[in-house]
Amino acid sequence: MTNPYAYTEAEILKVVEETHNIKTFTLKPRTEIGFRAGQFMDVTMPGIGEAPFTPSSNHNSKDTLDFTIMRTGRVTGLLHQAKAGDIVGVRGPYGLGYPLKDFKGKELFIVGGGVGLAPLRALLYALFNEVNDYKKIVLKYGARSPKDIVFKNEIDSWKAKAPHIDIEVSVDVGDDTWKGNVGLVTTVLKPGLVDINNTAAIVCGPPIMMKFVTFKLLDLGIKESAIYLSMEKNMSCGIGKCGHCRIGPYYACKDGPVFTYDKIKDLQKIWD
Amino acid sequence: MEKKIYKITKKDLYDLFTRLSSEHRIFVPYVKGERLHFGEFDPGKESDIELGGIRQTQPLKSFINPAREKILDGKPKEKKPVIIAGVKGCDLSSLILQDFVFLKGDAEDPFYAENRKNTLIIGTDCTYAKETCFCLAMEGAPYPQKYFDINLSGINDHFIVEVGSAAGERLVNNFRMFFKPHTATDLNKRQANREKVTREVQYFIDKRGTQNTAQIKGAVKKNYNLVQLWQDFASTCVECGACNLVCPTCHCFLLFDEKTAAGNKRFRMWDACLYNTFARVAGGANPRKQLYERLRNRFEKKFDFFPEVLNYFACTGCGRCIEACPGDIDLREVLKGLVLGKWNKPPND
Repeated sequence: MTNPYAYTEAEILKVVEETHNIKTFTLKPRTEIGFRAGQFMDVTMPGIGEAPFTPSSNHNSKDTLDFTIMRTGRVTGLLHQAKAGDIVGVRGPYGLGYPLKDFKGKELFIVGGGVGLAPLRALLYALFNEVNDYKKIVLKYGARSPKDIVFKNEIDSWKAKAPHIDIEVSVDVGDDTWKGNVGLVTTVLKPGLVDINNTAAIVCGPPIMMKFVTFKLLDLGIKESAIYLSMEKNMSCGIGKCGHCRIGPYYACKDGPVFTYDKIKDLQKIWD
Repeated sequence: MEKKIYKITKKDLYDLFTRLSSEHRIFVPYVKGERLHFGEFDPGKESDIELGGIRQTQPLKSFINPAREKILDGKPKEKKPVIIAGVKGCDLSSLILQDFVFLKGDAEDPFYAENRKNTLIIGTDCTYAKETCFCLAMEGAPYPQKYFDINLSGINDHFIVEVGSAAGERLVNNFRMFFKPHTATDLNKRQANREKVTREVQYFIDKRGTQNTAQIKGAVKKNYNLVQLWQDFASTCVECGACNLVCPTCHCFLLFDEKTAAGNKRFRMWDACLYNTFARVAGGANPRKQLYERLRNRFEKKFDFFPEVLNYFACTGCGRCIEACPGDIDLREVLKGLVLGKWNKPPND
């Protein structure tokens, strides 16, 4: 009997403090659990509860999984107290993941906000695996302040992966040391960054950010069907049964969590 | 396949139950005041058993997708096979939906599958209708048509037995001494009873002007953005979730973890989409912050989502939600309001 609600135990190998409320946990599951960038998993605090997260690691690294998690509720609060050596649970992966095949030969316009860079990091690593299959990779990342930037020590190394990678970080509020753009991430989404007729735009961030980024991308002329949005609803069972993550005719857990804008634009409250 | 039909006396049926009860858990409806409740078969309480009547207080899902099911504790559980006798047509039709959710799709729910396999369902005809009954409007009937293992239609001191599945046939064959041949007159009597109760249900539908599935089709979508209408429907809702919990087709659940001295446990428990927390995520975002949005969601799921994905209106006309609602929200009146595009206060009966 396969129990879809059972988790695999995983040891926390490493905890990296990204910001004051975001940590990256490297987990080693007892048995290997694969995933494809954009799919999510449920992480369990044994005996307490579980919550859905998209791994932030390279899907080619089979041995370990990274989860970059903001402290925001009961389960994440306890996860943030966990230390290397502690045991948690993982089940999944669920959902469809990013359609990398459809991205081949295209210019990728990736826009992230806050902890929303976590799934995008998994996507970037997946793209770097076969970097020449993509015509161009543009990443525009917005954080509240320089202190709120996640993967600080990695972002520069991403720029060096290939000449056709363009990465820019913007902060809403700067400080004395900040030399980059100050303003919402929408202020760095300018015309001419990508060929709008051969672009897939991929957005992940807080709902309000995704809303205004989507409108900006549409203004720039990017097609509704070329805008990929992470609809992180209250996904629980992961297999389209528990009912929590339904949006219109879809379950975010199995039909998403990534949807193109044309599929969901007429549904109510997609940004909440 | 030709229908296999027999006859059994009430006394023989209870003798059969007594024999089966050593190896099965048998649930039958008992009269409690004006209602019928499922309870475990007790030969000492035979006089309180009412296999006819109408649907019981507990929906059929209580047995197959129970309110609280342990789904993780590392220990295999042993379960006696279950027999549920007295299941009505409205509850049987809910199995279409529960089976679809728990057995189909990306993964099967093994706990549901086991309960389903482990449960023999004995249907029975309704012998009267209640004011809240409207199965005919939801493409059902006050007598089981399918999804039963055997069905019983009460006539005087015996029942007409109709076999509906291989498991039902095995039961009859194992206890052939109890099952006698039937006559054409028996079937005529069954037909007459069925027509009588059908007329009663139709009377209540006509009296209230309850809309049927053909009329309801598309009504939720059409009125989706009439916020005032939905706010009116929800004006007396107290978010108790009773409508969700008593509904035979509501299937939503939450996963609940518990730490005990004996180890960590996980339960699958009924949830209710009327609760504010249902769609809320830890960060605080909630696509259905307003009460009217949650009430609308319930109707959207039943009368728009399931017709679209399963070609099934997720209401069986059992009327339990009407009885259960402390705010007197009457699903039939909401549906009428949606079809007519305006809210009519329910008549005071």
